[in-house]
Amino acid sequence: MTEATPSDRWAIDTRGLGVRYSLRFTRKTTVRGTLDNLLRRRSSSMNFWALRDVSFRVEHGEVLAVIGPNGAGKSTLLQCLAGIITPDAGVVEVHGRISALMSLNVGFDSQLNGVENILLAGAFLGHSHEWMTARLDDIIEFADLGPFIDAPLKVYSSGMRARLGFSIATAVDPDILLIDEVLGTGDQVFRAKSKERIVEMVRAAKAIVIVTHDLDWVTEFCNRALLLDHGEIVAEGAPQDLVELYMERSARAKTKRERRAERFLEAARRGEVGAGR
Amino acid sequence: MSATLEVPASFRSSAVRPGWFGLLREAYQEVVSRRRLIRYLVQADLKKKGANTLLGNLWWVIDPLLQMSVYVILVSFIFQRGHADYPLFVFAAILPWKWFRASVRDAISSVTSQDRLIRQVQFPKIVLPIAAGSSGIANFAFGLIPLAGLLFIFFPHRASAYVLLLPAIAVVQFVFTMAVALFVSAANVFFRDVANVARHGLRLWFYLSPGLYSVGQVHDIAGEQSWVGVLMGLNPFATLFEAYRAVVYGATMPDLRALAALLAASLALLVVGAWFFKRLEPRFAKVL
Repeated sequence: MTEATPSDRWAIDTRGLGVRYSLRFTRKTTVRGTLDNLLRRRSSSMNFWALRDVSFRVEHGEVLAVIGPNGAGKSTLLQCLAGIITPDAGVVEVHGRISALMSLNVGFDSQLNGVENILLAGAFLGHSHEWMTARLDDIIEFADLGPFIDAPLKVYSSGMRARLGFSIATAVDPDILLIDEVLGTGDQVFRAKSKERIVEMVRAAKAIVIVTHDLDWVTEFCNRALLLDHGEIVAEGAPQDLVELYMERSARAKTKRERRAERFLEAARRGEVGAGR
Repeated sequence: MSATLEVPASFRSSAVRPGWFGLLREAYQEVVSRRRLIRYLVQADLKKKGANTLLGNLWWVIDPLLQMSVYVILVSFIFQRGHADYPLFVFAAILPWKWFRASVRDAISSVTSQDRLIRQVQFPKIVLPIAAGSSGIANFAFGLIPLAGLLFIFFPHRASAYVLLLPAIAVVQFVFTMAVALFVSAANVFFRDVANVARHGLRLWFYLSPGLYSVGQVHDIAGEQSWVGVLMGLNPFATLFEAYRAVVYGATMPDLRALAALLAASLALLVVGAWFFKRLEPRFAKVL
């Protein structure tokens, strides 16, 4: 479908990527809310860029960690790479089959049972029926749900849902794997098992982009890192250096915040800050 | 790798969106390549609807009969109005209307109810309203059982070969329903008012359509004011109800010209609806 380009050696290629969110439409908008907004239109403050001018490349076989504080745009970046969000500026090029592990405790349909959910998930992800049924046993085995596999998803615990989700997303044998902060799901045994599988995929020279706050993981398994803040790339390079830089920056931000809190407390003690503020 | 995937593995996404023709082609390809997903969604929907009730899918047979009884009691006995063989007269309208109403209601929430999935998985969102609109067909098909019972057991003198035209009329209604489904499902993402408006709008629409009464009665009341007739002619459900009633109740040929016109208009609306949906689709994941 897509034209074969010489840039095929890149698994992921983004150039000048930008994502803009319009605050005019938030959750559960109504016509009245929009009219209100239109009357008090301040268009500049209605838009904000979750990502701005992000350019980077990921080679096949590379494991890229994306680190940064909350709200830096890490998840938006993954959503963009997965094709869930279309960028408002720039280009994303993905070469190879992609699979995204976003939040794992989301089942596909809570009324259907495990097997039906696996098949439904496969259909959502675009895998053919034969391909999916061929992998059905592997998925069930890895998820290790026992008799629950025939029970509707609504009786699953969140850990069981996560196991099923992880099992589906990794069994599909992707060329590129996107992981969003999911290594901490499930119990100890499953955590070890999932880590093992990811390490396996890393060894099989798959391209992986991982968003995580587990910095030990970054230095141990990733061969490159990207530090994101306020939607922009702050630095790119060796995991060790970036983790240090990130810790330094967060420490600075922390002391700044602590100093501000101290000042606030002092002011409160002097009675300058009212209860209502 | 294309053998195992129904979608292209590699992709390129940028701020530049295809033009209207490109969007329509994309919509068509998505629906065709994802037929299995649509089928799964329909199956899951049907399974869920029957799962939590004691009588299960038997309700699809009972429900229109009960609703018919309500109208028969109200109109025939209390208001002392109605037509000869009124149960059949009103059933011919209730059945398609129930199908339409259920499909539109399901379609409205089809995209918004999958918000979590939409933020986590990339898939063509157009399958959601299509599946929601399609699962109503089963509802309609089951309703044909009590219709057949009513027609052949209680009112056999009304039965004719014209009944065989029923599927053709249903096709016209299906196309119209799909067009509406595409519009409301996308609009509801941005304005949740759609669901509220639809609840009352649909009720009003039914009472303003010749379901409980005939078009002839409206013309009698309207008298000189011809705009009423024009307005009635513009209502798709005036055409549909009259057509259903012609084959089931009147044992006559339906107005084929009106049906053809409605089909053409619905197809045009479907194309515009698909464009509308595809145009808004990239914003779903951000707004939900």
